[in-house]
Amino acid sequence: MLFRCENDQPLLRAENLEKRYKRADALDSKEEVAALSEVSFSIFPRTTLALVGESGSGKSTLALCLACLERPTSGNIWFGEREVTALNEKELRAIRPQIQLVFQDPASSLNPGWTALEIVSEPLLVQQRLGKQARRAKAHALLEQVGIPAEKASKRPGIFSGGQRQRLAIARALALEPKVLILDEALSALDCSVQAQIVNLLLELQTSLGLTYLFISHDFAMAAHLSDQIAVMHQGRIVETGSVETVVHAPKHTVTQRLITAAMGSPALPYPPKVA
Amino acid sequence: MKNPHRLGRWLVALGLLHAIIACAGFFAPYDPREQDRENPYVPPTRVHLVDAHGRFHFRPFFYGSLIREDSFERLGEDSAKAVQIQFFTHGARYHLLGFLPCRLHLFGTGSGRIYVLGSDAYGRDQLSRILYGGQISLLAGLLGAGLTLLLGATIGTTAGYFGGWRDALLMRLAELFVALPWLYLLFALRAFLPLAVSPLEAFLLVTVVIGTVGWARPARLVRGVVLSAKERDFVRAARGFGASNGYLLRRHVLPAASSVLLTQAAILIPQFVLAEMTLSFLGLGVPEPVPSWGNLLANLQEYSVLISYWWMYLPALAIVPFFLGYLGLAGALQEHANPYKMEAASLGGTG
Amino acid sequence: MRYTFRRMIQAAILLFGASVLTFLFSALAPGNYFDEMRLNPQISPETIISLRGQYHLDRPLPVRYVQWVNSLIHGEMGFSFAYNSPVGPLLWVRARNTLILTLTATLIAWAIALPLGIWSAATAGRWPDRVLSWATASFLVLPDLLLALCLLILAVRSGWFPTGGLVSTGFETLLPFGKFRDIVMHLTLPVTALVLSSLPILIRHVRAAIGEVLGAPFLRAAEGHGIPRRRLLYRYALRAAANPLISLFGFSIGALLSGSFLVEVVMSWPGLGPLMLEAILARDLYVVIGGVLLSTLFLVGGNFIADMMLYWADPRIRTEAATQ
Repeated sequence: MLFRCENDQPLLRAENLEKRYKRADALDSKEEVAALSEVSFSIFPRTTLALVGESGSGKSTLALCLACLERPTSGNIWFGEREVTALNEKELRAIRPQIQLVFQDPASSLNPGWTALEIVSEPLLVQQRLGKQARRAKAHALLEQVGIPAEKASKRPGIFSGGQRQRLAIARALALEPKVLILDEALSALDCSVQAQIVNLLLELQTSLGLTYLFISHDFAMAAHLSDQIAVMHQGRIVETGSVETVVHAPKHTVTQRLITAAMGSPALPYPPKVA
Repeated sequence: MKNPHRLGRWLVALGLLHAIIACAGFFAPYDPREQDRENPYVPPTRVHLVDAHGRFHFRPFFYGSLIREDSFERLGEDSAKAVQIQFFTHGARYHLLGFLPCRLHLFGTGSGRIYVLGSDAYGRDQLSRILYGGQISLLAGLLGAGLTLLLGATIGTTAGYFGGWRDALLMRLAELFVALPWLYLLFALRAFLPLAVSPLEAFLLVTVVIGTVGWARPARLVRGVVLSAKERDFVRAARGFGASNGYLLRRHVLPAASSVLLTQAAILIPQFVLAEMTLSFLGLGVPEPVPSWGNLLANLQEYSVLISYWWMYLPALAIVPFFLGYLGLAGALQEHANPYKMEAASLGGTG
Repeated sequence: MRYTFRRMIQAAILLFGASVLTFLFSALAPGNYFDEMRLNPQISPETIISLRGQYHLDRPLPVRYVQWVNSLIHGEMGFSFAYNSPVGPLLWVRARNTLILTLTATLIAWAIALPLGIWSAATAGRWPDRVLSWATASFLVLPDLLLALCLLILAVRSGWFPTGGLVSTGFETLLPFGKFRDIVMHLTLPVTALVLSSLPILIRHVRAAIGEVLGAPFLRAAEGHGIPRRRLLYRYALRAAANPLISLFGFSIGALLSGSFLVEVVMSWPGLGPLMLEAILARDLYVVIGGVLLSTLFLVGGNFIADMMLYWADPRIRTEAATQ
């Protein structure tokens, strides 16, 4: 166990994260784009923080930084008691299993040439845990846990439906028994009815496995339904945070208000708040 | 509707063609270097099943030749001298596939020579020369294509995967090479290297020259594939599990490039075989006495040969079935490839 | 305008790089023109040394490069040892002949390929398409070497066409129309060889480009509006498929100087090809460099023209260029 977490200590904490890019096209550009500025927040164990914002507000950049797939230009990220931005690749390898990412588009996040079993057991293969037989067994167990029928285990994701592919992505993310799951617009590409099913799956898994979620979305209503805390992002900054009730009923920032109105028509909450 | 057998069929057809050339010793009745100065420029022998008296023979035969003063064609048939063609006979020694000593030939004659496709200035059997010449030309094309693809894949992967200054440098270099006229470059490169070398050295030189000139286009294609594969989320996800660069390249990125490389191979191989033929035709390739499809055609540069001896054109036709085969293969590969395109998540469905 | 400027700079850099590369490489190659001369017992070693000095072959590489660039500016492009004259005028004449050949062939090929390709795409699956596909495939597999040789025999055996050269002897005495007719007679077979070898590929590409566009919704909408078929194909579909076709056209332009090498050599057309072959075999350094550079100029130029045409034809490229 790398972390010692108690319920009142945040599991994942970001402090003053900054991420700047040079403009991608010309070689001589001196302009920089600030994808993230002064981003700070905390997530407590077994809770869900929703990160809401429009496209381009920096949500995905933040997700990549938290998953240690990009390095922030400055700032700190704490997992439990360890600071991770200063770690090198080798040290990071031990941390990575603790925090996993589920991407938006399963057509891009699942290798179309691999079977479901291979996809789900890849994390175990990379981290070189378990022998071949044990890996297979674990992969089967994971598939069952997310509700993919056993006969599909040896098929390629091409024949799966959208919802099943996302279940597959979730199963893979769970393979290393992470503590935190970052869901980067994981429901946005799915049909409405399918979204509801995946949401239920996620809630079930959170209870049974004690997971902590960072739920990133542009869909305010969905975020509100799924989470305990909400942070609103706009142009790389967090403009408002708070518990769901506070933010939804009494939004302080104009961006928040705009998002709520766009999602629900008026600043009222149609979904019942999440039962803890 | 994709026909899954299409690819298989073309592979089998090409495989057969290559096998025939590879076993040239078996199919060729004579050693390609065997000269017969008494019989220069003999037209293809006419094979008969029915003899001058109208009798049918199961075993095909041909007549010896004699010089006729009276007719326009100097050589006529001597119906007194009938020579039978025997199948699966023993003839000149050769090495099957380069190492197995063997004496078995598909067909041959005891006495008298049969020139199925005529003979050249030194009385050498053209059929044998075409078969053996195919070994040289095809091998040059295959090895050259292999070299080019190896170079192109390495450079393209380095540029695409690591990006940065490596990418900029390599791609500028590729632009330069693409801008230079390929054929001239090929000729200049070959000509500026020593010309008077042994056939083996010439073969190696030709192969290396052909292989190193054309790397730029495959490199760009591979780079494109690598770039898009690198950005795919499944590569990011694998990095999220702690995968090393080597693992990512091996298991995710390069397999994506494999279909591009195979299609390129099917396109490049015939081009390179033709390049060897052109080089040899103009005297810059494999020299005599080793036959290659190109230098077999070199005689045609003489006016007299050009108009009088039509069978000397036949080596140019030898490549046609191979072109056809590779064309079909390239088409089938393009259709068959791309399991890496998956439609975007289908809306609806059971979830 | 900025876009044009930027592209021109890139092209210039490319040409510079090509010139350095070619120069470096030919100068470093073992053996040179004078090795041949040394084998000739009639020429004394002193003569060779003085000749080498005369042609500056004993100077270091960068100096020679600068001298060569200098002569380039004066239109000479170095000196040909074999022909004993500046390279420039030599190249121009031969290049002109090559261009006569290739321009004619390219225009004819495109004039045939466009309608046939469009027709093939429009009748996809039905007999015109099938016949054309089969025909293009058959010609595609015939190597140009074979085509050139066959046409050569045709010329020789039938006597209808001359077997080589640009003009007949006694050309000077002909009337203008006679001169024109003479050149056309000499042109016919080489042009046929070039057209036959490039037509299959062109038709295939045109067919593919138009075929991709034909399924597009905007075309169906136009059809629904009652626009006549021919107009639909030529004005709507062709414009939408312009992108890959213009790139292809750029390649055709690029190949104007270098694509006819084999045909020229086999059919004795006095163009750049035979000159280059001779020069390469004789190690006539500056002719080789000049020829390669001229061809590169066309290749780069063809690319450049294609880029400009694309810029003009495709509004997406204009907006992309503007936002940069």
